[in-house]
Amino acid sequence: MRESKPIIIIGAGLSGLHAAETLRHEGFDGRIILIDREKEYPYDRPPLSKELMMGTMSSSEIYLRTISEYERLKIELRLGLNIDEINTENKTLIADDGTIIHWGKILLATGTKLRELNIPGNNLEGIHYLKTLADAKSVRQSLDDVNQIVIIGAGFIGAELASSFNKLGKEVTIVEKSETPLAHIFGDEVGKYFFNLHTSHGVNVITGDSVERFEGTDRVERVVTRDGKNISCQAVIVGIGVKPNTELLQEKISCENGYIVNEFGETSLPDVYAAGDCASWPYQGKHIRVEHWDHAMNHGKNVAINMVQNQTAPYHKVPYFWSDQYGYRFQYFGYTTLPKPTVWRGDVQNHRFSCFYINNEGIIEAALIVNQPKEALPVRRLIAEQKSVDMEQLANPQSSLKKVHT
Amino acid sequence: MIDKTNYTELTNNGYHFVGYSTSIPDGEMQELTVGKEVVLIARIDGNLYAVDGICSHAYAELVDGELDEHCLYCPLHFACFDVRNGEVLEGPATEPLPVFDVTEENGEIWVKV
Repeated sequence: MRESKPIIIIGAGLSGLHAAETLRHEGFDGRIILIDREKEYPYDRPPLSKELMMGTMSSSEIYLRTISEYERLKIELRLGLNIDEINTENKTLIADDGTIIHWGKILLATGTKLRELNIPGNNLEGIHYLKTLADAKSVRQSLDDVNQIVIIGAGFIGAELASSFNKLGKEVTIVEKSETPLAHIFGDEVGKYFFNLHTSHGVNVITGDSVERFEGTDRVERVVTRDGKNISCQAVIVGIGVKPNTELLQEKISCENGYIVNEFGETSLPDVYAAGDCASWPYQGKHIRVEHWDHAMNHGKNVAINMVQNQTAPYHKVPYFWSDQYGYRFQYFGYTTLPKPTVWRGDVQNHRFSCFYINNEGIIEAALIVNQPKEALPVRRLIAEQKSVDMEQLANPQSSLKKVHT
Repeated sequence: MIDKTNYTELTNNGYHFVGYSTSIPDGEMQELTVGKEVVLIARIDGNLYAVDGICSHAYAELVDGELDEHCLYCPLHFACFDVRNGEVLEGPATEPLPVFDVTEENGEIWVKV
């Protein structure tokens, strides 16, 4: 029997790695080539802003698999390799070192790239971004000489870094463009909760203001805001979001906020699939793009199944992410557009509550769970089931989440 | 009649008294701290099983997850373990849960850690 044609996975992040493993587990017997432009073996990103930054985890613990595991599964890793061109007519891929690889199918798991600030002073030393292990090591190594840190952007990366630096005893200031942190995801009320969470731990939060320039001789010494605030600092970390990497095959594949895929992970181009942060996929009637760990892993696995067993595994997972800040654990399930009516359950004062976002049919679209891990699995089920719920029962922490259906 | 000699033997063999049999009905689980170990004890079809109470993947207390027959789901990343032998049934966990010996004597639960 002829061996199957090679499958190339572009991007050795969480999605690409899990896809590669799944291809083997599903019985694919051809070559699996996992390519990444980074030189690092596949690693886990969530600790970069937390355990690794606080020093409670070493960089050697961050790798997702041992080297022997790639050998065992015959996954060919090509690290530090950039792709110049993908030819879809004769199905070849040309890398920047001149390598030409023939392929049968391709999975684009290219992830995202940082949004960058383009303002005066952005070339000064001490201004960091956080995306890769190398970025995290570079921040970590510079921390000894830093007492005051400015974080630009109060999103999840910014918030987790603020918590980590605060724990390390640094003086932290967050500058956030919007009036309330995270309000675009959680709404104003929950956004205010996060604002208070920072300030009650001694982190300064400046909202409704943006950074106009960085000042300093060689190293950054000050951040100057549009409203004229001068904030002294020895380091800056910019966390203003990411955008999907869709440069490869962009002119041939339908793209809109990522590579557009169907429920099987197929792009508009035959034999080309996309998974994870770079893909825009159908969830409950609309195309969404999710930039979270759980989705990256599940989508990669799921699309890989379809690459081996054509169109057998439609993807419908409820999006999920978690965040750890100041010793508190946040879990968020679902997808919603704001504003939406909310139902609160539990004790906000004591940081043990859940907030549910309800659509006009009385169905939970999304939920934030704060320090109540027991509620996670029942809530995920409630959102997946898409049945209407009794709001009074839902708001009552004494009633079981298993019995809130109307 | 409680057999005192049996208790001595259990203690000599490294078992610790952790609670009463009635406290863990069938299909349910409980977390206990024995020395420095966080242990999860579950009862399935009448039998008790004891595994490490913390997920082998990332820090989460498994007792906050769900037990569906022998499948124990983590509440953080939803890894699934077989509570009878600690094996990984579903990722992201890759390492099995350590398993502890557990026994019932005269309506009491004893765990060896």
